Amino acid sequence: MVRLLREPKRFRRALTQPTMRSALIGSAFVVFAGLCVLPVVYMIGVSLVNAETSVNLENYRRLLVEPRQRALLLNSTLLGASSAVFGTLLGAPLGILLARSRLPAKRLLRIALVIPLIIPPYVLALAWILLTGSTGVLARTIGHDLLSGWTYSFAGAVVVLSLAYYPLSMLATEAAARRVDGHLEEGALLVTHTRRVMWRITLPLIAPMIAAAALTTFVMGLSEFGVPSLLRVRVFTTEVFTAFAALYDFGAATALAVPLLVVTLIVAVTIKLIIGERFISVRRSIHPALPLALGRWRVLVFGGTILVLTAAVVLPLIALAYEAGNVKRVASTFEGSREAVINSLLLAAIAATLIIILATFLGYWRGQERTRWRSVFDLFLLVIFAVPSTVLGVGLIGLWNRPGLLGGIYTSQGIIIIGYIARFVTVAALILAASVRQIPKSFEEAAEVAGGSWPRTFAQILLPNMRPGVVAAWLVSFIFAVGELGTTILVAPPGESTLPVRIYTLVANSPSSEVAALALMEVGIILIPLTLLALLTRVEVKH
Amino acid sequence: MTRNPYVEVLIAFTLGVGLLVGACTGRQTSQNNESGARAPSGEVTIYVSTDRVFSEPILRNYELNTGTKVNAVYDTEETKSTGLANRLLAEKNNPQADVFWSNEPVRTLVLKKRGVLAPYKSSSAVGIPAVFKDPGDYWTGFSARSRVIVYNTKLVKPEEAPKSVLDLTDPKWKGQVAIADPRFGTTSFHVAALYAELGDERADEFFRKLKANDVKIVAANSVVRDMVARGEAKVGLTDTDDVNVAIEDKQPVAMVFPDREGMGVPLMPNMVSLIAGAPHSEAAKLLIDYLLSSEVELMLAQSEAVQIPLRVGVEGPKNIPPISSFKPMTLDYGKAADRVEDVTRRLQPILGL
Repeated sequence: MVRLLREPKRFRRALTQPTMRSALIGSAFVVFAGLCVLPVVYMIGVSLVNAETSVNLENYRRLLVEPRQRALLLNSTLLGASSAVFGTLLGAPLGILLARSRLPAKRLLRIALVIPLIIPPYVLALAWILLTGSTGVLARTIGHDLLSGWTYSFAGAVVVLSLAYYPLSMLATEAAARRVDGHLEEGALLVTHTRRVMWRITLPLIAPMIAAAALTTFVMGLSEFGVPSLLRVRVFTTEVFTAFAALYDFGAATALAVPLLVVTLIVAVTIKLIIGERFISVRRSIHPALPLALGRWRVLVFGGTILVLTAAVVLPLIALAYEAGNVKRVASTFEGSREAVINSLLLAAIAATLIIILATFLGYWRGQERTRWRSVFDLFLLVIFAVPSTVLGVGLIGLWNRPGLLGGIYTSQGIIIIGYIARFVTVAALILAASVRQIPKSFEEAAEVAGGSWPRTFAQILLPNMRPGVVAAWLVSFIFAVGELGTTILVAPPGESTLPVRIYTLVANSPSSEVAALALMEVGIILIPLTLLALLTRVEVKH
Repeated sequence: MTRNPYVEVLIAFTLGVGLLVGACTGRQTSQNNESGARAPSGEVTIYVSTDRVFSEPILRNYELNTGTKVNAVYDTEETKSTGLANRLLAEKNNPQADVFWSNEPVRTLVLKKRGVLAPYKSSSAVGIPAVFKDPGDYWTGFSARSRVIVYNTKLVKPEEAPKSVLDLTDPKWKGQVAIADPRFGTTSFHVAALYAELGDERADEFFRKLKANDVKIVAANSVVRDMVARGEAKVGLTDTDDVNVAIEDKQPVAMVFPDREGMGVPLMPNMVSLIAGAPHSEAAKLLIDYLLSSEVELMLAQSEAVQIPLRVGVEGPKNIPPISSFKPMTLDYGKAADRVEDVTRRLQPILGL
């Protein structure tokens, strides 16, 4: 202590360092609670209060009483789980390939493989109906209806959702696979063969990231409404929407969302028990992670990738383009979309950036925390993410639509940004938490010993090491935000809002040719900045 | 050059917050300026569930003619997010909208019941039959659509097409009938109207038979139309505007106004209402007057929405019978709307939803 006092510089650092760290992380938590958690708490409050404003559990007493509701919940759970499993089976190997192998035209391939994430899932379902429905391209070509029974089925919905969400798994796996310490793999290679190293060293190291993506896909599948309703699969989400659309009962709708949250919680806990908490990296990877030598499998692997690309991107886009071919009103639709396009890209970019700033601190706290709160926090993030967009939207209106400053924000475009943050900061935080866990704790300790302040350590040591995770999280947030509809349509201020809202309000009663044309336009518009971004910035980390 | 990490982190934070505040206040300031520079009637906010392709030109026209800025929020009755009615309910304590223009009766009546609407008797509603006006002036109807039977002209001859919705239980249509999910949109209105007209027992029986006939329950009215156009179903129930869009697109579909004899054609007027506590109530009344004018009925009749004018004397759309040529279902819209919730619960087990 006396020594510290004699060295005022060091003393000041000892004093300010934890404060600065706590202050930044603390503020991130306050913002997170205010923007994301409060609307949900508000809605739960609404669900617990009856018309006479006394506490009432009626909304919850009716839950899952009917066998019909239980069957629907089972259906939804299976749909989410199957989409997550198949999405991961497609996405994770592709992620490893992109991270480790020397595939030709890799950058282009990556962009092409991300496209399904940009196509709204119900449009992807429409594309498959056009391809394999009872009067689709396939049936017309071979002369009889071969696949429509499969298209309009649970299996059809699983295929569409897996194809829609595998890019999540792919992006997450790639980001993780790049960060694996090459030394570990090389060391293992001395005693065993490549395949075993892959299974015993590499995969366990990237498993948390794969699990995070799989859980995200699970939640997307669980809460999906458009695809099952187009493919005539009955799901639980319809119950929530019925409470809103037919009964106008916010309390009942919120209560009906609770079983979805509970299922999410159960699945997340199960995954957690299987994967556990791992130390992902122990030392700095001087060497790049092990390259994947494909050898004689090269042709097969490349062929498989092309197959996925064909099924997930080429065929649907061709089907949509073909359908859009005979559209006549599309020019007028395109003309008026300029403001909505600019709005969409700008708001999504701002939101994705804010999400990353917020999620970096949340993810950092989660990644380095050693108490049991870290697991609770993971589960909490997922459950918040599983809250249906409509419930969140009504919650945001209830909180923000008030006279004064809050109302000022509510009547501005700011509320759309807040909606995006509330919807998607949880996903970004999950991705970044996994990313932080790949950075050896020793880095931070070394920086501290060397006398670096925490903000400096954070900005110069941690952030650069988190870069692949940051890029992946930004991309996912941006893509999700650009396509967000459920919350935006409820809170967007009067006047022109975003592209999905515009398209949605334009196409509801239009022929499917126009839906196809507008969906293609949306894909194109989102793809242009993403491609530019990918070409201008090297996503790869320099080793 | 040494980089100060404090500065970096702070810059990032400030930039983010700055962007957010900028995005918020940018619009805010412009709004303030507008309200400061112009009279309070200089702008009006309307929530519209009539399809944007049809409603936007009418609102633009109003802007051009009057100089009043119209801020619109669009939606559609097909939306699964059920936007506008829920939004109006959620905003009830601090209303943002001045006018609600609905494309069907149910939503308006729910909002009236929940105290979201205010009465306004428009002087320009002259000529609109009393049955399409609320006795308490909470809403006024104008141009109507109808529920119709759509059929595929390649697979069904006009004389074979069903003439009544009750015909859809005929075994000859087994597996060939498509309807939209009856819990949502105009289909929810149609089934509630059927329950009001037929009585619970007969209506239950009708839907049981329909289920036994393997009715295909699909996502939306537009999907019904598309399935019939593609031949995935031979007949279906949908709305006039949905079918007309496909006819103009040269698809092989045609429509039948069902129950022209018997229980009557289920007409769905647009409804316009003033919002209670509207921030711009005077401007709202002027806009309502415009929407109820013959001019708007004529524009909607001539649009692809082919809406049927409620006034006799306004020229109707081509290919659509005028309102004087058939018997509309005599409906108490309030009663039909009141039944929506209970009918929804009844139908779920019957149709296996």
